[in-house]
Amino acid sequence: MSMPGINVPRRLLLGSTAAAAAGGLLTGFGTGSLRAADAQEPQAVSTPGYRPFFGRYQSGIIDAQQEHAVFAGWDLSWREGSRKDQLRSLLQMITDDASRLMSGRGVLADTEAEMAQIPSELTITVGVGQSLLEVIGQGKIGTMPAFAGDQLDERYGQTDLLIQFCSQDPTVLQHAVRAVSKNLRTLTRRRFVQAGFIRAKPGQESFRNLFGQLDGINNPKDQARAQAVFDDSWIGNGTTLALRRFDMDLDRWDEVDVSGRDFALGRRQADGSPLSGQSVDDPVDLAAVNGLGLPSIAANAHVALAKPAHAAQSIHRRGYNFVDAGRSGLLFASYQADPQASFIPVQHRLAAADALNTWLTATGSALYAILPGIEEGMYLGEQLIG
Amino acid sequence: MKTSTTTALVLSLGLLLTGCAQGAPEATSSVKPSQGAQHQTQAQALTATDTWAKAAESGMSAAFGTLHNNSETPLELHKVSNAAGDEIQLHEMTGSGQDMSMKQLEGDLVIAPGADVVLAPGGNHLMFMDLKKPLVAAQSTTLDLEFSDGSSTEVDFAIRNFDGAKENYDEHAGH
Repeated sequence: MSMPGINVPRRLLLGSTAAAAAGGLLTGFGTGSLRAADAQEPQAVSTPGYRPFFGRYQSGIIDAQQEHAVFAGWDLSWREGSRKDQLRSLLQMITDDASRLMSGRGVLADTEAEMAQIPSELTITVGVGQSLLEVIGQGKIGTMPAFAGDQLDERYGQTDLLIQFCSQDPTVLQHAVRAVSKNLRTLTRRRFVQAGFIRAKPGQESFRNLFGQLDGINNPKDQARAQAVFDDSWIGNGTTLALRRFDMDLDRWDEVDVSGRDFALGRRQADGSPLSGQSVDDPVDLAAVNGLGLPSIAANAHVALAKPAHAAQSIHRRGYNFVDAGRSGLLFASYQADPQASFIPVQHRLAAADALNTWLTATGSALYAILPGIEEGMYLGEQLIG
Repeated sequence: MKTSTTTALVLSLGLLLTGCAQGAPEATSSVKPSQGAQHQTQAQALTATDTWAKAAESGMSAAFGTLHNNSETPLELHKVSNAAGDEIQLHEMTGSGQDMSMKQLEGDLVIAPGADVVLAPGGNHLMFMDLKKPLVAAQSTTLDLEFSDGSSTEVDFAIRNFDGAKENYDEHAGH
């Protein structure tokens, strides 16, 4: 159970089991895979600093956003023989890697297993493109359509496989990316590695993007979030990830005064409050008018167009800032049950008219099926592949 | 002489070797807890964890992991074989620093009661001398571990990419 010199946090393993049990997951699955010793010990709830790998949903989706992230995309290099079998083996390996790393252990063949210790809320969240759903012969999420104004760099386009790595510790994070990548390298071609960062105020989920705006204010919370992300998705307890890379033209943004910035967003840069209200928690009220009888929030303000027309258009944003080789921007990442009903129509509205488009350019775009959570003894994708 | 014994063993177990369930992160060999220690074979006293083998298309490769002895008597690992009929040797590393080289272990690999033997790059390991079939990353391979009392157990080794384990082979070590 342990690599030499590495202590496995026993409470963590139990905690995962407890979390799975709390989620009602154990029903109908092979609880026989639990070792007798574990079953006899009291179940801990969770261990600080660790996110559960096993559970109803994958971690890194609706749980609190960590400060550092890497989104990495790979295309598979197929050998002769059954592609489904090859994909199964690959997902089994990723499952083993992720469960070890998230519990603070190195992967098999890890040459720097020490770096995995104290995972600092590391999560490894695995998704596949429509191309791999075709290999499996099950599931349909489609692909990301073209949006007005896209200037896509092929490098940041759709890949077969996507893994979102998140942690509070960038060193742990980069080790995890490297460990997983080393195990994948003869089986895949890595297309992109996109690193991002945020800093949220304690107890809050919104963060400052590189325009200086508070991002993530209107995310659905608690039960509404779980519904937006998982209800009636392409597979039970799975979801989809829309990943878009937006370059920000910060030099031209410098030329815009505060009122112009607030007008374009529909919120005040100072505190995130909507122009239709006074506090950050006030609703975005598109019917509100100012002293001149004009709409408080312009029809082409970002928040006006991004506002879900109805509950089915709700998405959960979990994006990150990036600064990479002289370019800055936002790695937009959103989780939603059905992108055709939510993200895609909203993004079409924004792409057509958003006042912020003057300073934003989409350079990357992809859509992934995020696999359902699993319990111990299973591998990610097992519900699909069998 | 030994070859015929090995072949018979491999044939008798060959049908069991197709499993590839390595999804469990703490994959261990399927050794059941003993009911009465006095009837326990050496194979039943083994728990193998973190077992993996270095991916290779052909030629040499190596397998690693932690072998734990759950019993109160020593385990003597005598022979390792697989369904493909590969020659697999028990190797030990000698020397130190950059000058390490490996040679075949003389006699059995002994695991003391209650103790672990760690097979690791740069240390003791199981050596494939000339692969008959590729070891493909992400797949797994099953080895049959036979002990001095004649008992044996199958252990799955997850196959992983690995650039290390390029230890010098000591040609003068009595092969």
